[in-house]
Amino acid sequence: MSEPLLDVSGLCIDYLVDRGAVRAVDNVSFSLDRGEFLGVVGESGCGKSTMLFGVAQLLPDSAEIAGGSVKFNGQELVGLDEHALRALRWRDFAVVMQSAMNALNPVKTIGAQFRDAMHAHGQRSADAIRQRSVEVLGLVGIDAAHLRSYPHQLSGGMRQRAMIAMALLFNPSLILMDEPTSALDVVAQRSLMTRMKELQQELGFAVVFVTHDMSAVSRFSDRMLVMYAGQVAEVAPTRTLFTEPKHPYSGGLMEAFPSVRGPRKALVGIPGSPPNLAEPMSGCRFSPRCPDVMDRCLVKAPELIQIGDVLARCLKYDQTDETD
Amino acid sequence: MTETSDPNLDVKASAEPLLRATGLTRHFNVGGLMSRQILHAVDDYSFTIGEGEIVAIVGESGSGKSTIARLLARVYPLTAGEIVYRGRRVDKLRSRRSLAWYRREVALVFQDPFSAFHPVHKISHGVMRNLKLHRPELNAAERRKEAERVFEAVGLAPRMLNRYSYEMSGGERQRVGFAQALAVRPKLILADEPVSMLDVSIRAGVLNMMAGLRDREGVSLLYITHDLASARYIADRIIVMYAGHQVEEGPAEVVLNDPKHPYTNLLLSAAADPLQTEGEAPADTGEPPRVINPTEGCRFRDRCPLAIDKCSQVTPRLQQLGEVKVACHVAVGEATAAASGAMQ
Amino acid sequence: MAIQSATTAPATGMPPEPTGGSRFRGMLRTLLGNRKAAAGIVILLIVAFVAIFPGLIAHDSPSESSYLPNLTPSGSHLLGTTNLGQDVFAQLIYGTRPTLVLTLVVSVIATFISTVVGITAAYLGGIADRVLTVITDVFLVLPVLPLLILMASFLAPGTTSLILVLTVTSWAFQARQLRSQGLSIRNRDFLVSARVRGESAVYIIFREIVPTMTSLLAASFLGLAVFVVGFAASLQFLGLGNSGQEMWGTILYNAQQSAALESGNAWWELAPGLAVAFLGTGFALVNFAFDEIGNPALKPMKRRKRRVRASA
Repeated sequence: MSEPLLDVSGLCIDYLVDRGAVRAVDNVSFSLDRGEFLGVVGESGCGKSTMLFGVAQLLPDSAEIAGGSVKFNGQELVGLDEHALRALRWRDFAVVMQSAMNALNPVKTIGAQFRDAMHAHGQRSADAIRQRSVEVLGLVGIDAAHLRSYPHQLSGGMRQRAMIAMALLFNPSLILMDEPTSALDVVAQRSLMTRMKELQQELGFAVVFVTHDMSAVSRFSDRMLVMYAGQVAEVAPTRTLFTEPKHPYSGGLMEAFPSVRGPRKALVGIPGSPPNLAEPMSGCRFSPRCPDVMDRCLVKAPELIQIGDVLARCLKYDQTDETD
Repeated sequence: MTETSDPNLDVKASAEPLLRATGLTRHFNVGGLMSRQILHAVDDYSFTIGEGEIVAIVGESGSGKSTIARLLARVYPLTAGEIVYRGRRVDKLRSRRSLAWYRREVALVFQDPFSAFHPVHKISHGVMRNLKLHRPELNAAERRKEAERVFEAVGLAPRMLNRYSYEMSGGERQRVGFAQALAVRPKLILADEPVSMLDVSIRAGVLNMMAGLRDREGVSLLYITHDLASARYIADRIIVMYAGHQVEEGPAEVVLNDPKHPYTNLLLSAAADPLQTEGEAPADTGEPPRVINPTEGCRFRDRCPLAIDKCSQVTPRLQQLGEVKVACHVAVGEATAAASGAMQ
Repeated sequence: MAIQSATTAPATGMPPEPTGGSRFRGMLRTLLGNRKAAAGIVILLIVAFVAIFPGLIAHDSPSESSYLPNLTPSGSHLLGTTNLGQDVFAQLIYGTRPTLVLTLVVSVIATFISTVVGITAAYLGGIADRVLTVITDVFLVLPVLPLLILMASFLAPGTTSLILVLTVTSWAFQARQLRSQGLSIRNRDFLVSARVRGESAVYIIFREIVPTMTSLLAASFLGLAVFVVGFAASLQFLGLGNSGQEMWGTILYNAQQSAALESGNAWWELAPGLAVAFLGTGFALVNFAFDEIGNPALKPMKRRKRRVRASA
């Protein structure tokens, strides 16, 4: 079996606040093969965006990687100096942000921004730049004339596509995406995601797609990773996650979506709220809200347990003896 | 049963709906001082809301749906049209007394639980003020009890009255928003995207609470959302909105099971079952337009797979087709053709 | 700004802010933790103490003129004597209270006026806004010196005139700032909510908008105080004050009139100037601290070594 493209192991990320450090991402591990589409889902405060930025080595000054490793193509990224990182960024892996509004420079045309990116990586030939720019715009379905447009002249959906085009400039093998569709309408979302999937199949890059909206990504992801309170709750092939969720949190999430078709069933949701990460927690972090909670869940913090091709952090699957 | 707050009002029980909006229109002046650019946020919108009913307005952002809520709440005035509530014209109310009356009847709940509350005051501030202003018959002790009652009605423990907004989660705050509305004992609550900013796991609880308000407290709700699925979950009737116009309206199940307007169809296909991996995605890549200085004709024509010539020339009006109303030349044309065909 | 951070931080995984009353204590703690604030507060406390208990510090009466005139500083007269034989140190100490009171009175009144004008303009909008803004602008660009000359011919020199002039010339600046802030939060949902509730404009301005601006108002007040301390002294120096009543500025005036720098006790003229600078600095330091609290981006960055860990 060839080496995974991305191998995250025991990643821990702390936020530095006045009173000390708050662990926003606790011991996250997963691996990604070439061409694989991984959806990372979770609700507010679960640490998914922090984790993504940690992987991309783009954490703000107030946060730092406190432990673990991120290996890309076998190369360790944590601790790599800025110079080496810069060489990797965009060529080998690209990041698409949540709101293209904030990521695109409002006072430069799209074409100029593409050109800047190319220059930064040593591409100087004006012809080659132009050709590639037109090519990537074509990949996302934007007319080449828009190279001369400013971001505010494009609609929200088009701006997001332009961001994706920019990410594709150097044919990276990995694209990290942080909620790229949450600012878009339902219809625009669907068509963008469909195009992403098509591109992925054509060009063969891997995707890590972070979102709070499971239903947006589930059609397109090969596997899904559910995060809760800074930890991985479950990792499973998409279909398996939806049909047989193992972790009660994933199960609860599946039950929380109203459906447009089919019979109308009562929704339950998951009452309560995620724990305060600044305070010490004992036992399973989900136990206060868990419908299947057992006594030992309150004292023993579960590890990620393998059940077939699924990993779930739940004591229901813990076969070890209970020692009191 | 809630007693009417103004005994002088004669409400004919079932004949007249609770609220009847006719021809609602709201335009904004955009562009600079010299330009005559007019943004048509809402055009010629007519609908009714009955007693004890949840009506959902579904549309994407820019469709004007939030504007409807604010027009009904009298946050800003109508450019044209009228609103009749319990038999009285309310869009032109001026006197303090009548305004106060209307505010006791119709309450507004906001979308963003993180900006809907005062950052400094306690979370119960809005509830207490509402009670003070609109329930003058209560003394201080009674107000306190009533505040506890509305908190419980939305599923919050009374001790939360003393909390501050930054100590509470999004879902809890949103419930307080409803409690605030309930404090005036309204007959109609206008809920502007109340669950859009909440986590999915929390939405169900708030949606269930809203349905409970209809069932237990007899309150009608106007539920504004971009999410068809949640509209289906609690609404009795659905109105689909596009670019400031109504395009389809009818009982929730009927509209969703048998959509007549191509836009409704588009929304349905985009919102489909998460696991369904087959089925073509709509080829549509467009977005709802910002309607500035519009021309005649259907505003959906540029994206519509069924558009005919007439669509660019004549603005379609809502017409009754069986149980639903549709504003679409093609849908109406087909129905008439089918009807005349059947008569042959 | 302070308001932004309070409303945009959802209470999920991050440490929640403390409740109600302890919020004030928390703010006090933060204030004291900030070096600038601590220094500023110390200065202000010293001045306040001197103002409240002048007798404890200076053992002479300020008006006692039985000493030898124009003495330079010595053991018995820390700052020497005036040309009338009064103890300069005593004058300075006893002058602290009226100076401080004047500063505070003017700052409070001017802040109040600017709050009312600025926020009302922002909230009401339309014509009211235009009228109030024009008025503010007029007062903003009033040339001070010609105004002073005008007022000097009409007003009797004295503390009341001083208060009048100072207030009139200092409220307008803050009014613009407060109006800007008011405009930025005017359409926030919680204010729309208040309008929909049917609250009166007065209620909204004072009980909904102003409470969100406490740190801005505090900073306004402090900034104004810095200005007033110096400007009041200048005006008194120019003769607008009541030279009979001891305030730091009037001491300066008297000293200047007697040409203290050239022929006599130089400290008579220098000391009040330094005192003004001292008090002004105190206000300014606390003001900076408020800025930093309100906008953490302004905090001095603690240099942190990038910890590089690559353990498995």
